[in-house]
Amino acid sequence: MTAATVSGPAVSAASAARRRRRIPYLLLLPGMAWLLLFFFLPLAQLVVTSLEEGSLEAGFNFAWAWDNYGALFTTYRGQFLRSLVFAGIATLLSLLIGYPLAYAIAFRTGRYKPLFLVLLLMPFLVPFLLRTLAWRIILADEGLVVTTLQSIGILGSSGRVLATPMAVVAGLTYNLMPFMVLPIYVALEKMDKALLEASADLYGSPFVSFWKVTWPLSLPGVISGTLLTFIPAAGDYVEVELLGNPQSAMVGNVIESKFLNVIDYPAAAALSVGLMVVVVFLVVFYVRRVGTEELVT
Amino acid sequence: MTSPGSGVPAVELVSLTKEFADFVAVKELDLAIDDGHFFALLGPSGCGKTTTLRMIGGFEEPSSGIVRLHGEDVTGLKPYRRPVNTVFQSYALFPHLTIHENVAFGLRRQKIDPGEVNRRVGEVLELVQLTGRGRQRPRQLSGGQQQRVALARALVNHPRVLLLDEPLGALDLKLRKEMQIELKRIQQEVGITFIHVTHDQEEAMTMADTIAVMHGGTIERMGHPDEIYEDPRTTFVAGFLGASNLMDARVISPEQGKLVLGDGTPVWIEPSRLMNGATTVSVGVRPEKLHLSAPDSPLETPNRVPGTVTDASFTGASTQYLVDTQQIGEVAVTIQNLGDRRFRANDQVTVGWYPEHCFLVT
Ligand SMILES: Nc1ncnc2c1ncn2[C@@H]1O[C@H](COP(=O)(O)OP(=O)(O)O)[C@@H](O)[C@H]1O
Ligand SMILES: [Mg+2]
Repeated sequence: MTAATVSGPAVSAASAARRRRRIPYLLLLPGMAWLLLFFFLPLAQLVVTSLEEGSLEAGFNFAWAWDNYGALFTTYRGQFLRSLVFAGIATLLSLLIGYPLAYAIAFRTGRYKPLFLVLLLMPFLVPFLLRTLAWRIILADEGLVVTTLQSIGILGSSGRVLATPMAVVAGLTYNLMPFMVLPIYVALEKMDKALLEASADLYGSPFVSFWKVTWPLSLPGVISGTLLTFIPAAGDYVEVELLGNPQSAMVGNVIESKFLNVIDYPAAAALSVGLMVVVVFLVVFYVRRVGTEELVT
Repeated sequence: MTSPGSGVPAVELVSLTKEFADFVAVKELDLAIDDGHFFALLGPSGCGKTTTLRMIGGFEEPSSGIVRLHGEDVTGLKPYRRPVNTVFQSYALFPHLTIHENVAFGLRRQKIDPGEVNRRVGEVLELVQLTGRGRQRPRQLSGGQQQRVALARALVNHPRVLLLDEPLGALDLKLRKEMQIELKRIQQEVGITFIHVTHDQEEAMTMADTIAVMHGGTIERMGHPDEIYEDPRTTFVAGFLGASNLMDARVISPEQGKLVLGDGTPVWIEPSRLMNGATTVSVGVRPEKLHLSAPDSPLETPNRVPGTVTDASFTGASTQYLVDTQQIGEVAVTIQNLGDRRFRANDQVTVGWYPEHCFLVT
């Protein structure tokens, strides 16, 4: 009797504590289920497919066909490297143009800040394909850009802009720019402006203040921005299709044609998985490098 | 530059004015601050203290006027070219740097030899009692510790003037009291001129050698804490530095210091305070300078008015009375608890005070 009255509340308290501990996991459940269903299962399917062999007519069979992966570094090495180089250049250009833009919006626009943010996001109101198609017209051979460049002699009389690697990189840069600017803007925006006064007070010239205070504090934004730019750019194929030519094809174009035209699923899957693994490696390496740099002075 | 103690003020402001778009924050302010002093700029919120401090630090450009540091005109110089350092209200510690690197920031910008940097950082961290915290980051420290890092980061540069903008404003009361004593100790130890902005009159009185009371963009009264408390000269300063009872009086005899209240009751004050030749004046006296007695035991004070106690609240060390009088309305009286008789509401009393405790305000 005595034991029961003592242990009763203790037991229910313990089970209540257990229930409370379970709540976070319950809350995670929908997200985990979503990831499992729409990310891990297709990914697993993709990996399995990448190791199959056969043909559309004969059917594809699982065969540990590691050779499929070789194509990324042999037959399609050019396209693969081009993907990384184009994405790298587009990311660098986005950073060079996007950082000052984010800086200006965060520090210099005053009460017009919302207007500039809306302008930055304006392109999203027009579908991606339409915007890129518009660039086809702008960069076309008889278009204003080309004729202007020709008349001031930067471009030869037979020179083109459309259907060149330059147009592809420009398209990538243009389309991904907001993804670079926004995270950097957010990082700069939440920086305490008094820190710059403190730096000036401690004998930091404007240039030194930028390198020692603003830049390191904006690094998280720079990291997010470069990842949000580089990763989609490395897998892109639309820019080449609309603005490039066969000589500027990226690995995304190869994957697209393997999947949709040649119908060689194992090869397409192996190229996709291979690209993904390489990009993940690059990203981890990059985040480590830059991330630790932020921690030292 | 001149050496300390040469008589040249550490900071001199000449007719300093700052106008914002539609508002004059600081109006033709003149001020000279002695070298090595703990100087408090005291005033209510919005009176222009921060703006004044920022013009001394170089963060705000004056609309007109001159800022001199040790005799040198620095009005147009950028902050990083002035021999002053600032402790910011929000501390503004660099979140990405360790405590050591925060403190070393100014020294590194001055290209000081790394060994010397380490020595000086260690020294100043010891001064603010944060030895051993160098490798932590600002967010790992409490508010009081962050405050001391901000102080160390400024002091390590051996500025000739240290500017502090409400440095204790974010701390709770107990910590604030401790830091007041701590700041005063550090100032005496390093001997640097401190200009301390605050809206807390008690804080200013506790710490400062000299207080300037600001009001509406100008300095209304400046002097030693006791001097401006005992003789505030203006209604605003009298009210800002503590409670006071004010009464209007007519001057009868300036030589004797004799005045009369509206109903003819005489009031005596120090004749020296009456020299400005006014015929009607406003007289003030602090609550703790008043005496109370029962009507049957007359006071010796030359100034006396009868009244009725309307409220008595005992606070331990003293009792606060409100006494209603016909001549000067409601009077606040503070009586030290020395074991004398205590009065209750509705008691008839006489309120009395001495001439030397009267001040005149305009
Ligand atoms: N950048 C500014 N633009 C417009 N008005 C300002 C600016 N800075 C301060 N003020 C105004 O100047 C007055 C004095 O401000 P401040 O010096 O910060 O006062 P305090 O520090 O005494 O509270 C305030 O009324 C404030 O609104
Ligand atoms: Mg202020």
